[in-house]
Amino acid sequence: MNAYAGVFAVSCNREQPEEATTLQREQQLNRFLAGVERRALRFAEIAVRDRDEALDLVQDAMIKLARNYAGQPEEEWTPLFYRILQNGIRDWHRRQMVRKRVMVWFGRTSGPEDDYDPVAQAPDPMGRTPDEQIEARQAMQTLEHAVGDLPARQREAFMLRTFEGLDVAATAVAMGCSEGSVKTHYSRAVHTLREELGEHWQ
Amino acid sequence: MKKPLDEKDVAVRAKALFDDSVEQLDAATLSRLNQGRQKALQEVRAGGPAGQWARWVPAGGLAAAAVVAVVVWQGAAVEHSVPEAGNATDFEIMLSEDSLDMLEDLEFYSWIDTGNPDPDSDVG
Repeated sequence: MNAYAGVFAVSCNREQPEEATTLQREQQLNRFLAGVERRALRFAEIAVRDRDEALDLVQDAMIKLARNYAGQPEEEWTPLFYRILQNGIRDWHRRQMVRKRVMVWFGRTSGPEDDYDPVAQAPDPMGRTPDEQIEARQAMQTLEHAVGDLPARQREAFMLRTFEGLDVAATAVAMGCSEGSVKTHYSRAVHTLREELGEHWQ
Repeated sequence: MKKPLDEKDVAVRAKALFDDSVEQLDAATLSRLNQGRQKALQEVRAGGPAGQWARWVPAGGLAAAAVVAVVVWQGAAVEHSVPEAGNATDFEIMLSEDSLDMLEDLEFYSWIDTGNPDPDSDVG
């Protein structure tokens, strides 16, 4: 009887650290995702110009990160997460291109841009006047359109560096390219945006 | 007159607008983000000690089903082959020359079986 109790105790002691590790990892991942999800949504929304599609893309990226990379060191999660999200966005654009070709073939050309609403209607938490809110929304819409019109790689480099604050090395991991390419894409993007937005932002 | 924007100004202004738009997200959107996060966290739980076993359940079930299928199939094959072997043996006995001789001497064997030897026989 005592022998069985001993075996049981050993078995329990062996599983407890694993369960504690899993719980700890889950809490870490929860904190990470909670901290990144809003920005990731806006990131994806600017790229695909549709909030529902962006929500799906962010959810897929969160699930893939949890499934495949939860065991990786926490400091690697940010570039990995954005790499997964970027891949999802690229796949989405490929699917859209195929869909558009099919639509053109059947004589229909409607797209997600027709009913695009970039900023949801909500009370302003910063206490700004309606005029200030409208001005900020218009400025953001202008920025979104300008960023959205950039070539894909330039857009990725600009958003990762500027919006997410990733350094060149982390951006290179997220984009799956060299650091030199990141610098080139980012520089071209900022140059284009300055020309596009200069007259609006004076 | 304002000075023209330089590249750093563009980045700073764009980041400020982006951060502002993040803060403006509505409750319904935040709720959907939270739901997506909870689904993702389920993946971590599924990867835990209990979940690791749970992941193997379908594969284990399939393997067990495959083993049972092989055993049943083999058993059926053995059962099916036994009568065939028996029939072949019967045919061999029926067609052997000795058996045909026996058929020819059927009258003799019938006489032996009655246990009444002919009184005219020299034997005895």
